[in-house]
Amino acid sequence: MSTTMTPVKARRSTTEKEQETPAWKKRLTSDNAARVAALLSFFLFWVLMSALFERVPGPIEVVQRLVEEFQRGEVFGNFGMTLYRFGVGVALATVVGIAVGVIMGLSQLGRAFFESPVLVGLSIPAIIWSFLTVMWFGFGDLSPIITTFLTSVPFVIVNVAQGVRGVSRDLRDMSTTYNVPFSRRVRDLVLPAVTGYVAAGVRFAIIIGWNGVLLAEWFGGGGGVGYRARWWYDANRFGGFAAWVVLFVGFIVLLDRFVLDRVIQRAFRWRDASA
Amino acid sequence: MTDQLVGAAPVAPPADPEAGAKRTARRRRWRLTGLVILGWLALYGVWEYGSWWFGSRLLPTPYEVLLSAVEIVESGNFLTDFSASVLKTFAGFGVAAAVGAPIGYLMGRYNYWRAFFHDGVTIAGTIPAIVYAVMSLIVFGLSNLGPILAVALVSAPYIALNVAEGIRGVDKSLVTMSEAFGRTPQQIRKEVLIPTIVPYVFAAIRMCFAVAWKVEALTEVFGGRNGVGFQIRTEYQLYDIAAVLAWMFLFIVFMLIIERLVLAKSEARLLSWRPQERSSAL
Repeated sequence: MSTTMTPVKARRSTTEKEQETPAWKKRLTSDNAARVAALLSFFLFWVLMSALFERVPGPIEVVQRLVEEFQRGEVFGNFGMTLYRFGVGVALATVVGIAVGVIMGLSQLGRAFFESPVLVGLSIPAIIWSFLTVMWFGFGDLSPIITTFLTSVPFVIVNVAQGVRGVSRDLRDMSTTYNVPFSRRVRDLVLPAVTGYVAAGVRFAIIIGWNGVLLAEWFGGGGGVGYRARWWYDANRFGGFAAWVVLFVGFIVLLDRFVLDRVIQRAFRWRDASA
Repeated sequence: MTDQLVGAAPVAPPADPEAGAKRTARRRRWRLTGLVILGWLALYGVWEYGSWWFGSRLLPTPYEVLLSAVEIVESGNFLTDFSASVLKTFAGFGVAAAVGAPIGYLMGRYNYWRAFFHDGVTIAGTIPAIVYAVMSLIVFGLSNLGPILAVALVSAPYIALNVAEGIRGVDKSLVTMSEAFGRTPQQIRKEVLIPTIVPYVFAAIRMCFAVAWKVEALTEVFGGRNGVGFQIRTEYQLYDIAAVLAWMFLFIVFMLIIERLVLAKSEARLLSWRPQERSSAL
């Protein structure tokens, strides 16, 4: 078609267009420039907000508070406490969630039994769990752990069950026909096939779990990031609160980028290599 | 085993296999319903046991919660709190859609804006809800705007990501054809792009609805002047746990009904022109 038609002057090929744009323009529209621009505009937006609302702390105040918190040595102890509670809670949720999810995915009877409890668990807000656990277990480590566990376990279960149900029917039938023992079926067929769903579920559980652990610490008051953030909030010094938010969100982002992504990539080497 | 088969074959009349299959199917259904009921019973049992273990002051029995719920419903003023909470949730969705959909559109259409927004949107999606709740409280103080902002902040990233996904999934040949027939960019936007992304916006809203009303209630617990969260906090401060649980369960039931009725209905209505898509989306 293009051989018979004379090219319209206004329409140029993409390579021609690319060659014609000057280098500075290319640099300005590159992805990295966009990221820098996004950071800058976020910063400007923050400054603007702190100018508009006097209750919103500006960047300078937040950095000051952050430095003060580090100098007081409040950061690492509280962070460690929160991490410990969070880690135990999410680990428990992962183990229990995978077990129940596999049962729910493999047998219809199991699904019928667990369906309603999981549905109820999904719909109970984290705040109710944190209220209840704080009253039940007091201000120690137990209430944040249990809150994290209870809020995140239904999400793992749902994800894993969905993944197990998606396991190739043919392979499942074949292993039934050949009398493959249940434990081997789970280990060699189901678990590799659902790794993706487990990863998605755990990722979601982590997001939900942070919320749970922070809430329980906020109301439970036994130390930790949530407790410290609340301390500043109650003191009506929102700069301190914002400093903890910055610290915490930074930590979550780093964890997500550098730990979770790597782990997930490692876990999927076998699949990505063959694809 | 072969003996059994041989023995059973002559006795069975010709129509029996089907009847047998039906019988097994029925028995199977009965067993499934039985297990569903058993699931609820187990839940009830755990609750009863828990309230015996912790004492009914720390975990009221189901019956006490039921009494409290009946009391709340009979008093009649729960409707104002419910409607306040629901209105705030939907207002938050409105704001989130108004902000998130254009961002998602830009992200899906242009590479530059994708790089611009991508990191921010993904980070915003991972921040715990409590941070948003307290942040909106700091910005607006004790007002109805706080919960709305919190809901908007929680749901906007999801809507943006979903819309971007939808835009990228738009049939390229449709756009090319519209261009070839000399349609203006506005026309393409209105007739091709926007109809394609409406289902994605709805999918995003349904996805975050479950999270959104919880965040809404959470923000009200921290600082609301009405709504379900406010009632929950008031009862918690009075250590009336039965009332806390009753409010929560009423709210859950109410929200499930809203989800089924309002969201599903309006989605079906807006998307009724594309029957296939709808059936696959639900």
